[in-house]
Amino acid sequence: MVNLTIDGKQVAVEKDATIYDAAKACGIKIPILCHDKKLHPFGGCRMCLVEVEQMKGRLIPSCTTPVTEGMIVQTTTDEIVKARKLVLELLLLKHPIDCPVCDAAGDCDLQNLTYEYKVNMNRFVDEKFNHEIDYENPLIERDMNRCIHCGKCARICDEIVSYGAYTFINRGIEAKMGTEFDGPLNCEFCGSCVSVCPVGALNSRPFKFKARWWALQKTKSVCSYCGTGCQLTLGSKDGKVLTTIYDENQGFHNGQLCTRGRFGYQFVNSDKRLTAPLIRKNGKLQEATWEEALAEVTSRLSAGKSDPASVAALATPRLTNEELFLFEKLFRGTVGTDNIDHSAGFAHEALTKGAVASFGVAASPAEIADVQKSKLLLVVKSDAYETHPVIGFEINLGVKRKGIALRIVSDKKGKLTRLPGAKTTVHAPGSEVALFNALCKSVIDQGLAVEGVAGLDALKAAVADASAEKAGVTAEEIAALAKDFASAEKALIILPIGQGYPGHNAALANAAANLAILTGQVGKEGAGLLIMGEKNNSQGAVDMGIYPKGTGLNAAAILDGCANGNVKTLFVAGENPVVSYPNRKKVEKALENVEFMVVSDLFLTETAAMADVVLPACSFAEKSGTFTSLGRRVQNVRKAIPAVGLAKSDFEILNAISQALGGAGYNNQGEVFTEIAATVPAYKGLTQACLKDEGAVYPVALSAKLVPVAAKAAAPAAGKLALVTGSALYHCGTMSRFGEGPMYVCPDAYAELNVADAAALKIGEGDQVTVTSGTGAVQVAVKVGKRVPQGVVFSPYHFGEGSVNTITDGSEVTYVTVAKK
Amino acid sequence: MIMPLIKGLQITISHMFKKPVTLQYPTERPDVKPGFRGLHALNVSHDKAKCVACYLCPTVCPAKCITVEAGEDANHDKYAAKYEIDMLRCIFCGYCVEACPVDAIRMTEQFELANYSRADFTYTKDRLLEKK
Ligand code: SF4
Ligand code: SF4
Ligand code: SF4
Ligand code: SF4
Ligand code: SF4
Ligand code: FES
Repeated sequence: MVNLTIDGKQVAVEKDATIYDAAKACGIKIPILCHDKKLHPFGGCRMCLVEVEQMKGRLIPSCTTPVTEGMIVQTTTDEIVKARKLVLELLLLKHPIDCPVCDAAGDCDLQNLTYEYKVNMNRFVDEKFNHEIDYENPLIERDMNRCIHCGKCARICDEIVSYGAYTFINRGIEAKMGTEFDGPLNCEFCGSCVSVCPVGALNSRPFKFKARWWALQKTKSVCSYCGTGCQLTLGSKDGKVLTTIYDENQGFHNGQLCTRGRFGYQFVNSDKRLTAPLIRKNGKLQEATWEEALAEVTSRLSAGKSDPASVAALATPRLTNEELFLFEKLFRGTVGTDNIDHSAGFAHEALTKGAVASFGVAASPAEIADVQKSKLLLVVKSDAYETHPVIGFEINLGVKRKGIALRIVSDKKGKLTRLPGAKTTVHAPGSEVALFNALCKSVIDQGLAVEGVAGLDALKAAVADASAEKAGVTAEEIAALAKDFASAEKALIILPIGQGYPGHNAALANAAANLAILTGQVGKEGAGLLIMGEKNNSQGAVDMGIYPKGTGLNAAAILDGCANGNVKTLFVAGENPVVSYPNRKKVEKALENVEFMVVSDLFLTETAAMADVVLPACSFAEKSGTFTSLGRRVQNVRKAIPAVGLAKSDFEILNAISQALGGAGYNNQGEVFTEIAATVPAYKGLTQACLKDEGAVYPVALSAKLVPVAAKAAAPAAGKLALVTGSALYHCGTMSRFGEGPMYVCPDAYAELNVADAAALKIGEGDQVTVTSGTGAVQVAVKVGKRVPQGVVFSPYHFGEGSVNTITDGSEVTYVTVAKK
Repeated sequence: MIMPLIKGLQITISHMFKKPVTLQYPTERPDVKPGFRGLHALNVSHDKAKCVACYLCPTVCPAKCITVEAGEDANHDKYAAKYEIDMLRCIFCGYCVEACPVDAIRMTEQFELANYSRADFTYTKDRLLEKK
């Protein structure tokens, strides 16, 4: 600790603090323009000048100067104020000062400081800047005339996002924040640069001119896309969500969001939203009243009570915990069927079966905070960045700032593989389990396994014939990776799961857990296994028991039941199996066949269009409740706007049905949470009030054990390419298709090919091709690159048109042929 | 008892010889002084409303009777796609005029604002622009 005096106040701070940090710690505000707590000190603007007794004669920038013992600092003297005014005058010299039309006004550091320091005249005169404004970009409008050269955009894009889209170009007064060859911005559109820009030089285009910052109602909530559970502040006005507002103090991620969170909110007020219930009459969906629709649904369900096995229900893990709890209670309790599932049958098995077998809990043993505390990260699939971009930022930061070692095992390269020091092991598609078994064998062979772990002998026997070749990698790579992992002080495995990754199932979770357990990398901070559920409440859906527990049917079996007539009534809350489940034809057939299907959703999705009754549901912005993000953090979701049209939240819908069927009824969602806290052991003692803004990570008691799993023998088909599915960075599930932002930058389905394969097939970038598998054929556009290795095709699953699930059948890899259309 | 009565009469009678303070409206018209705050008008320059939809007037308006909606024109400039004043709520304080950074709004001398229906008290952009 270092002691110093600031404006007469005594403070003690850590020795790596700066004067600015020290002043902040004792409540003294020093004005800043180029400093950001998340970024390395820069010292470019000189707004934060202070006077230090020991360094008299000049003014010192407080944001870059470390504290020293006994320093005596003055933060506001006449001289300092004069210097700061000069800084502002010089900044305003070439600044357009078009605040009336600038979207930053009201939330602009330059404007606020100009006002605070009463800079109402300028001693200098010069021409204004005359840079061309980028109006073309659909998401980020760049007006470099307003730029004050703080460099924050370039630094955040480099330090945290690791994209590096900007750099200063030219010199002196000509200097400008530029892009590659001063061309159009073509990046991953996370909007981080927009959020940190202190002025109106970078603006969110979708929000352009929509409202003034001060007129927005600000509601703190949680992103409803992926499982990371980023907190966000919704800016709404007149019942519409207009933007997401940056708050650098929000969440573990300090307000950082990915492109979906930042630019994908428009689905809430999309004009495609369902606003009234629909009932199928004479083969066509027609508008109806809630009374009619609910009467229809309840009469079907109460008839189903006498034959519960004929009723099945699917829920999306996007619902709140309260809704899912009620869902479970309604179907498992009141109706009495065990045929309930979320995408678990396809996508969340790693938690519901894998983690349960290996750790005795249906949750990740690790939490998000462990990422930065680790010494070595082993990421399964480079796609972890695409599915959970803000976790990707954490990985970037850990690797670049803390020197955490990064190892990736993947079937293709990706952004993570380009991080400094990252070592990527590219394995044969679908051979993840074989790879982990080979790693375990190597750990054992090298004598690195910890003594006396339960089930060691069984594992030894099971992996005896594992080998690097079976995973398509070299033995040296495996040996080196096994050694690095086992000998790291703390090593964490990161495993993204979801509907795009059929191979990331229970077996893979067990195989990965085996490696962690075998090397003693569990049960300590910064180590273990982080299973990253795909959707915002994937973990919550598992916690609320939305999967068959006894003899009930899982999602795949429910669809089979629909097809063969055993399931007669199907209730679908927000899922879109037609697009997101494998083998689209089969799913469509099943849903056509089921006698009665109810769908509650925000949109008339491909699935809802086939229903008998469609109930308009509320988005996350229209309701309160809780989500549980990956790493077990339970967080408050807060209502920002009233329901759109006649939509009702799934809580209201399920509550009404439950009461009509003689089941439980609640006055509000808060009562359900109280019951969750009383009945779900992990949530014991939690209240929505005590979750506050930051949420709470619920504890888990692990009982780790080795669970030997056999790798499936890969059967590559000669002359065919291996199709692997996954997520595109801009999308999550099928909901992001209704957000303008994601659709501007990634509107259509595509297949990604290696340059060599493309050349051999005479296919060029953007060509339309037909991809054919044993299940079917689909037409998509092609992207050509070096990310996917030769022999592999990648395609994201989010899209309705050119839906890749038309040709998949649920196995890890689909063998396909690709031909020009 | 009689004295107050006489006093009262005195005042009455004295007024019979003074100039009346009332105005024979509408045959006689008042003489509107400079600075009078009557109906608003949106100033025009280069055939366009000067208003750039900065939202300062709706922000400052104590009666919350101004509705502005910004739009983006073909040159990517900001303009008021909607500008409306609810004259039934306006208290004619003139803050909007004071707040405007681009001198886009003024208050005219027009004070005869009576109308037959509530809807007619909503002054849309077109109506506010009419009087130049
Ligand atoms: S950047 Fe700030 S100071 Fe500059 S025009 Fe915009 S609001 Fe005004
Ligand atoms: S949007 Fe994100 S990736 Fe693009 S330039 Fe800004 S910070 Fe970089
Ligand atoms: S664009 Fe914004 S963040 Fe980037 S240097 Fe200019 S003022 Fe700073
Ligand atoms: S999609 Fe995921 S990573 Fe992106 S902002 Fe939302 S929660 Fe965060
Ligand atoms: S203050 Fe002036 S420029 Fe701004 S909205 Fe009102 S009239 Fe338009
Ligand atoms: S904030 Fe310290 S120099 Fe810019």
